[in-house]
Amino acid sequence: MALDRRRINGPEESFPPVFDSDALQWKLEDARKDRSPDDIRPIFLQPGLISQANGSAYIETAKTKIACAVYGPRQSKNTTYSEMGRLNVEVKFTPFSCVRRRAPMRDAEDRSIAVAIHQALVSSVRLELLPKSTIDIFVTIIESDGLDGCVASGSVAASTALADAGIELLGLVTSCAASVVGKKLWLDPTEEEARLSKGTLVLSCMPALKKITSVWQTGEMKVAEALGCMDACQEKCTEIHSVVAQALLESAKI
Amino acid sequence: MADSALKASIFQRLHPRAYLERFVAESVRPDGRPFDAWRDVSVNVGSISTANGSALVRLGETTIVCGVKAEIAEPELDAPEEGFLVPNIDLPALCSPKFKPGPPSDEAQVLSDRLNEVLSSTISLSSLVIHPSKAVWVLYVDATCINYDGNVFDAALIAMVAALRNTTLPKATYNVESGLTTCSRTASSPLKMLKTPVSFSFGVFDATLLADTTAFEEPLLDTTISVVVDENGDLVSVVQLGPGVDTGAADTLSTCISSAKTRRVVLGGQIP
Repeated sequence: MALDRRRINGPEESFPPVFDSDALQWKLEDARKDRSPDDIRPIFLQPGLISQANGSAYIETAKTKIACAVYGPRQSKNTTYSEMGRLNVEVKFTPFSCVRRRAPMRDAEDRSIAVAIHQALVSSVRLELLPKSTIDIFVTIIESDGLDGCVASGSVAASTALADAGIELLGLVTSCAASVVGKKLWLDPTEEEARLSKGTLVLSCMPALKKITSVWQTGEMKVAEALGCMDACQEKCTEIHSVVAQALLESAKI
Repeated sequence: MADSALKASIFQRLHPRAYLERFVAESVRPDGRPFDAWRDVSVNVGSISTANGSALVRLGETTIVCGVKAEIAEPELDAPEEGFLVPNIDLPALCSPKFKPGPPSDEAQVLSDRLNEVLSSTISLSSLVIHPSKAVWVLYVDATCINYDGNVFDAALIAMVAALRNTTLPKATYNVESGLTTCSRTASSPLKMLKTPVSFSFGVFDATLLADTTAFEEPLLDTTISVVVDENGDLVSVVQLGPGVDTGAADTLSTCISSAKTRRVVLGGQIP
């Protein structure tokens, strides 16, 4: 790998520590560790923490910590004339956000999460009102505990930040993940649970309009299971919607 | 009322220099601080479980998160008994409208280099050796700016030092026969720190010395001065960028140094 002179470099190669014993693992047959199958992790949501941005939100769901900032609408640069505004989503993991260190290089994972969040949000934003403009959404994942959780929490944070920026939306987007572990359905899986599961699904919707904006399914799942996941997620999304609305209301009062 | 607030913010955007000049003429700064006042510091350590050590620092509105990740590597041939300390700061597009996504900006590169210089005095690299010329610890100290409201160098240094002080390394043993290093899940020890340096930065605007400048003030400064002081009040580093200035009574640089030493004592209790 070429030496990057723009950063302070360490040795050419380094490896994560190898431990003498494996971390405690639990098996498929065991019950879920600290919550019931249809519980999601508690959400802490705070809009408006990043004073430099037009809108921002910080979300924490147990270990997952994500900051999101919205800049714009501002003039589109280097793009041809467009009647519709553009929504640009960039996701960045901090190097210490995962169990293994992420060297600061852009990899495919950031992009796929960015595409998923973009998909979840794009139909909620009234881009037809913003010709020649771009809305930039920057998401920084400070700590990750499961990719599906990052997509879901990232989408919720981004939608909150858009509302905080005063950008016209058709409705707030909320998002929830589900996984099929064995024969059971576990909502909002952690990284360890997602590894155990055979398939995961992230559903994003606008609960106020009862409309789905995106469904992102990976792994294998029976049709009935997928539908079951979607139903369970949609129910949770309605609950998350009131959390988001409450957080926005409180930040608007101050 | 709303109208006059709007006019003030438009004036601030269009004529930042005149805006600041009028405040300085009234001996106050736009955020209400006197010239020599510092913003509040809050430090929160150990909240990131994927890192060996971490810290979240807020200096006024400026917010920095820093995480330390420890990995194992072979030492350099010419320094078989030295580990590695690799500090970097990231100023992502998230933290301020002036940054773009992509590789580190010039500002980030300069900051990383200055932080590296100061941090090298805090840890003895020989304490990171697991087995001479075979295995040493590499400490990746990565700071990310979440909100850029000026004086990022001071905030980042506090974050990096606090994260290092929060770091524990698992007990590692090198097996001479297999050439493998294994770590214990149960036994770990904190990092040995030689110093706790804290930086205090000042800016000079029209022959007025301002402490702890904000993102609005920073582009208008003629000179910036950073004084890094350790826990005994000894100087670790002094950096002046820009021309020297006469701010009245005493020599500017000595004013900064004595002010930094006083502030270091006040801050002492707040920095874990």
